[in-house]
Amino acid sequence: MDVENIKQKAAMLRERVEALLQGYRSERVPLYPFLLGFCARNVGYPISSIYTDPVKSFMAQLWTFEQYGFDGVPEFGYASYGGWEFGGEVKFPNSEWEQAPMHGRFAVQSEEDVEKLKLPNVKTDGMLPMAMEFSKLQDKFGMPISIVLGGNFTIAGNICPVEKLCRWMIKKPELAHRILRLATDHIIEVVQYWVDTFGAERVMPKIWEPLAANSILSPKQFEKFVLPYVIETNKKILAMGIKHIFYHICGEQNLNLPYWAQVPMGNPGIVSVGHQVNLTRAIEYFGNTCIIAGNVEPAIIQSGPPQKVYELCRECIGKGKYAPRGFMLMPGCEIPPMSPPYNVYMMRKAVEDFGRYNR
Amino acid sequence: MTSEERTREILKGLYDAVVEYDEEAAVKWSKKALEEGIDAYTAITQGLAAGMEKVGELYANYEYFVPELLSCADALYAGLEVLRPHVKVKQVETKAKIVLGVIEGDIHDIGKNLVKIMFDAAGWVVYDLGKDVKLEKFVEEQQRTSAEVVGISSLMSTTMLAMPKVIKMIKKQNPNVVVMVGGAPLNLEIAKQYGADGYAKNAGEAVKEAVRLVNMKKKDSVHAK
Repeated sequence: MDVENIKQKAAMLRERVEALLQGYRSERVPLYPFLLGFCARNVGYPISSIYTDPVKSFMAQLWTFEQYGFDGVPEFGYASYGGWEFGGEVKFPNSEWEQAPMHGRFAVQSEEDVEKLKLPNVKTDGMLPMAMEFSKLQDKFGMPISIVLGGNFTIAGNICPVEKLCRWMIKKPELAHRILRLATDHIIEVVQYWVDTFGAERVMPKIWEPLAANSILSPKQFEKFVLPYVIETNKKILAMGIKHIFYHICGEQNLNLPYWAQVPMGNPGIVSVGHQVNLTRAIEYFGNTCIIAGNVEPAIIQSGPPQKVYELCRECIGKGKYAPRGFMLMPGCEIPPMSPPYNVYMMRKAVEDFGRYNR
Repeated sequence: MTSEERTREILKGLYDAVVEYDEEAAVKWSKKALEEGIDAYTAITQGLAAGMEKVGELYANYEYFVPELLSCADALYAGLEVLRPHVKVKQVETKAKIVLGVIEGDIHDIGKNLVKIMFDAAGWVVYDLGKDVKLEKFVEEQQRTSAEVVGISSLMSTTMLAMPKVIKMIKKQNPNVVVMVGGAPLNLEIAKQYGADGYAKNAGEAVKEAVRLVNMKKKDSVHAK
């Protein structure tokens, strides 16, 4: 590896995002990456390598971002995070149709299992050693350090099947709260470990929260079972000296927006929303404190004609471009690995054509 | 002979037990129905299942969410356990059959499980293949059971790419079967593009859509004759 060459590439890839974090806009809207398996396929690696081989994962993303003009640096993680770390099993993608790691066995199957749950060792358990190896690559190449984690409710739903968790929320809330307590303590411990290793100035936690969506939870349930834990987590993370938290509010979360707006995300935070979320409303809720990123529908990037992808990007840019703390064009969730390359390029073309600011 | 008023009261008790996700009440009212000579089939269809139909509406209208829906289903099944052994065989209407499963490569089955609950409650015969179901298995199970409907679910945008293939395989063996798809990355437009007959946005709407499609197929085949 040519360290200086990679350092240079990485510096260029993050210029526009760095500018927004520092409070000013560059010449156009950044194009923020959310593509993992696509990068592996793009450079001829198996999809699983993105999740199991930190070096290949890092390089595949770096090369792909450079090729497509994404403004961001590689990251390491997946939405099923938490299950393996708490004693369950995760299965990495290895068949024609698989996209990302999935649950093999859940750590919690019964009420008794909840009592036996223990906090993972953040240095040795699950995928964390690989994530640390990946962050050391980020460090080596002078990049910001990210650690990707599930949100509090998502980790809880990865420790125990989400249907069970939902039933316990109504019938045995103390069990749901115990799992959420452990998930919360775990996130804080992981971030503390990263801060101890790299320094708070350089670490940006990236938290993905798909399971707290309104396709599962009501806003009232969100208020009771999610919000207090998220607020506590982020307050403690920010108290470590971290400046920015990246939150991917995944899926249908329109009814939760008033609650999410109460969560401290840093100055500024970054909030990325799914395609189901009304982008204009998201800007109303978070725009004064956070950079907003979103929200091109991934299924259209995969299946739609290029013109439709381009048009969706134009609409998103139109809504977000002048958000007070900035806007980044981003897919509403991970770009599916099988997406046609030209559709992915449409995002780049759209930011070039519609994302420029008048100077 | 139970009075009409008492019958109504017991049926309402069953209905409310499901809507209010009260398992104990569902068992209590089911036992009362049997003790007081109310026909078990009537108690199921006009009490428990009617309650679950209301739950489906509440879910589709964002008044109930997954925790409530699952808890209502628990109440439904608790009542069914008491009543089902007392249903006379000849009373059971021949309802339609559905094969359900989450497509190959995908293990996210909560949506499929909710759909199963709604079809169960509506009295359909459900053949649940589970999750990560090989494409051939959908074809084999439809042929084995002669199900009128096959319901296929996917949560991942990658696994949904297998849908056109499996729909083609099913239709090749039996062009008259209704194939429905569902799951977060799908919509009606993609469903049509993939060759599916129907799509339901959520579990609450799936049964109605299936009934509509099956009736349409029947009409079409009558006209064809």
